[in-house]
Amino acid sequence: MSEENLKKAIERDLEGATATVQNKGRLVAAVPKAGAVSALILLKAHGFEHLSAISCTDWLEQGEFELVYHLWSYTDKIHVMLKTRLPREAPRTVTASPVFRHAQTYEREIHEMYGVHFEGNPRLTPFLLDHWQGPPPMRRDFDTRKYVQDAFGSTPSLEEE
Amino acid sequence: MDRADIPKALKSPANWGQKYSLWAVYFCTGCGVIEIPPVITSRWDAERFGVLPMATPRQANLFLVTGYVSVKTLGAIIRTYDQMPDPKYVVGFGSCPVNGGMYWDSYNTIKHLDKYIPVDGWIAGCMPRPEAIFVAVVHLWQMIDKGIATGYKRYKEDYEYYERNQREVLPHLAKFESAEPTAARDI
Repeated sequence: MSEENLKKAIERDLEGATATVQNKGRLVAAVPKAGAVSALILLKAHGFEHLSAISCTDWLEQGEFELVYHLWSYTDKIHVMLKTRLPREAPRTVTASPVFRHAQTYEREIHEMYGVHFEGNPRLTPFLLDHWQGPPPMRRDFDTRKYVQDAFGSTPSLEEE
Repeated sequence: MDRADIPKALKSPANWGQKYSLWAVYFCTGCGVIEIPPVITSRWDAERFGVLPMATPRQANLFLVTGYVSVKTLGAIIRTYDQMPDPKYVVGFGSCPVNGGMYWDSYNTIKHLDKYIPVDGWIAGCMPRPEAIFVAVVHLWQMIDKGIATGYKRYKEDYEYYERNQREVLPHLAKFESAEPTAARDI
């Protein structure tokens, strides 16, 4: 399937979806939050069997998180970036793990770093951070320097000796 | 052995013996550990200096902390250091254990290793060359000769200070478990 046909299929079969072909082998699709998992099912049926990553972007000024699902088709050699936006306040969305089992781990990391809750993910437990107490650290309103000062204190000066 | 070294060796045979048998514990933190394989193998051959790697901390006395130390790694470092027999020497390798280095404002990296375990010497740089390790080893020899590589003694004397700092970032460490009031867990 070519990029143009895929764009048509996405816009025809998914409600509220828009797609643009960036250049050869690259397609950006935006779907509403509720349609993200159905978009993944559709794309998987079209041969996009590799979910390379899920990334999250914090759009602080717009009050939104943006999830990007990176999908790759081995037969068509097309990279699809499936984007969906969530409100920043109490962000929740449905897990993609029934479609791609390894999405569980990506979602676990996004949950830890951004505080996005994935409904239906059975394993949203602490992942990389060790007994983290503060707010999710990758949010842009997280004050890293203040946290560092509070958690680790200042470095002693060399004159101590 | 140099003739001038004979009285030194007779004065303190233990120091003389220790300084030529440094066993570095195999412990890899951060990116600095990429410099260790060429140091211990044919290219630079640390055995010329009496430094050999050892797979278990119980039979090692040199601890090279090579690179940034995340909070999770610090738990393993403390556990490893506590297991090593005396006398033991810690060398911070690279700028990250000194003051955080390029991770100076990272939320998950400790800034000053000396607050948590006693460090005998630092190798500055990012990355230090493998030769820097040998410079550090020779410095460590001199420190052992003079009797000032006493990090392990400081650890015992000021254990309260180190324990307080360790507890601050790692209150859930296994060694603190018995001392904690664990009312919830007793049930």
